Amino acid sequence: MALTLTCPVCGKRNGYEFRYGGEDKGPRPAEEGLTPTAWCDYVHMNKCTMGVQKEWWCHRDGCGVWFTTWRDTTRNIEVEQPEANE
Amino acid sequence: MFWKTKPLWGNQPRLKSSYDVVIIGGGLHALATAYFLARDHGITDVAIIEKRFIGFGAAGRNTAIVRANQRTQYNVPLYKDALDLWPVLTKELDFNLMFNNCGNLNLMHSEAAMKAARMTIATAQFHGVESHLIDAKEAKELVPALNISEDITFPIHGAMFHPPGGIVRHDAVVWGLAKGCAKHGVHIHQQTEATAIHTEGGKVTGVTTSRGRIHARQVLVSAGGYSAGLIHQMLGIKLPISVLTIQAMVTQPLKPILDHVVSSGAYHCYANQTLKGEIATGAHMDQWPNYTTQNTAHYIKHQAESLSDWLPCLRGVKFMRIWGGLADMTPDMAPIMDGNDPIDGFYMDCGWGYFGFKSCSAVGKYMAQYMASGHCPEILKPFNLRRYENHQLMGETAALVSYTPDN
Ligand SMILES: Cc1cc2nc3c(=O)[nH]c(=O)nc-3n(C[C@H](O)[C@H](O)[C@H](O)COP(=O)(O)OP(=O)(O)OC[C@H]3O[C@@H](n4cnc5c(N)ncnc54)[C@H](O)[C@@H]3O)c2cc1C
Ligand SMILES: [Zn+2]
Repeated sequence: MALTLTCPVCGKRNGYEFRYGGEDKGPRPAEEGLTPTAWCDYVHMNKCTMGVQKEWWCHRDGCGVWFTTWRDTTRNIEVEQPEANE
Repeated sequence: MFWKTKPLWGNQPRLKSSYDVVIIGGGLHALATAYFLARDHGITDVAIIEKRFIGFGAAGRNTAIVRANQRTQYNVPLYKDALDLWPVLTKELDFNLMFNNCGNLNLMHSEAAMKAARMTIATAQFHGVESHLIDAKEAKELVPALNISEDITFPIHGAMFHPPGGIVRHDAVVWGLAKGCAKHGVHIHQQTEATAIHTEGGKVTGVTTSRGRIHARQVLVSAGGYSAGLIHQMLGIKLPISVLTIQAMVTQPLKPILDHVVSSGAYHCYANQTLKGEIATGAHMDQWPNYTTQNTAHYIKHQAESLSDWLPCLRGVKFMRIWGGLADMTPDMAPIMDGNDPIDGFYMDCGWGYFGFKSCSAVGKYMAQYMASGHCPEILKPFNLRRYENHQLMGETAALVSYTPDN
């Protein structure tokens, strides 16, 4: 089953036009007082959710925009934002 | 009569309410660790908890390649140990693991790659592992079907030749180890899902399963591609892992043409001929994390294109069967083996990506030693989780791996 994603500019497109940008880990931590642990957490660590997660994508072979979307990793399909995560 | 036969690992044992050790996952690493716990340390009160059936995970889906020509001084000795164990285990388990040490040939497609191979080879030789550099002509002598002309996408400059590597029948390893485990009294619980790990005052106290709660002083998670998701879900510990589907396939059976395992990083493709005559091939991962194990037309096309470039005699040959499994990838392409940090009695063995088959025998031996003594054996020390925050990554690849369409 092929993945499709919805680019906020171009609409629904084939998943292979996009580049995965990782789990959405919130804003980049402030440089001031940053510990190696916190930086490592931001750069390397993942939740590896078996289910719906919020993640970054870039429409690399399209308009080039970066955006976040929700995907069910057990079905490999884009899904609506789950209610609990409004 | 057939309904009277029982599996090599015995009938399903009764699930006790307490074990010394509970291992989550019924793959190669779980079985090997349980086997060595029993064999070397007399720890036999062990339960293996497997959600589906043993070998369901990557243990039964890999392409069965074994070798010991890795890149760093930390990795090579571990894989050498694993390679040396196949003939030993074959005897000891009284089970034919079908080790075929036909040798591995890593194709190099540029002068830069040849240079990098020289370094890798020097590391291997330093550790007493046979490995050497050959030129394109010598590669063609070993594999006459190889296309060494200039007019392919990535012309072949030479190869890294590693004679002691090869293929081991992966299902046989699962069955053989399971037989060995059962013989020592280890309980293998299939159709049993671990749903929680319990801790109290920083210590492991047990596991909840779909068939009830189990008390245990030690819990090992070695659930292959599922480990990282489970460890976060159950204990809130995040790991530097991305879980990606990796696909493999076999062609229709052919007359013998390929006597070695041949691989190419540039083509993202490897192939060997099975004893049945099929060309087994794989190597590329999906470009984004997922747990589906689905196959894609994209990948079949990629595989057909690259194979028919460097093995042109395969043009027109049909793929018979294709499948997928999970690869849990770390940024430095080396696994995470750790214990008692931050929870006493909690151990993990994951992040194996596509290296978890060739390593399983040695890892089982050392993880068992770790769990029996509570102290990390020297050989496993560099693989701890803290290497990420201490910035002591392994260098199994020249650069950190980020999973994009470009690699
Ligand atoms: C297509 C492919 C090709 C590969 N080729 C090679 C190769 O040539 N050489 C090589 O060295 N490696 C290869 N690998 C990698 C290798 O197969 C894996 O690294 C290895 O099998 C991992 O072993 P494991 O025992 O840790 O996990 P697995 O064998 O994946 O076992 C994990 C088990 O955990 C179970 N599980 C999951 N969740 C739960 C739960 N909640 N409770 C209980 N049980 C659970 C699963 O059902 C599964 O059986 C390949 C992998 C794939 C997919
Ligand atoms: Zn777009």
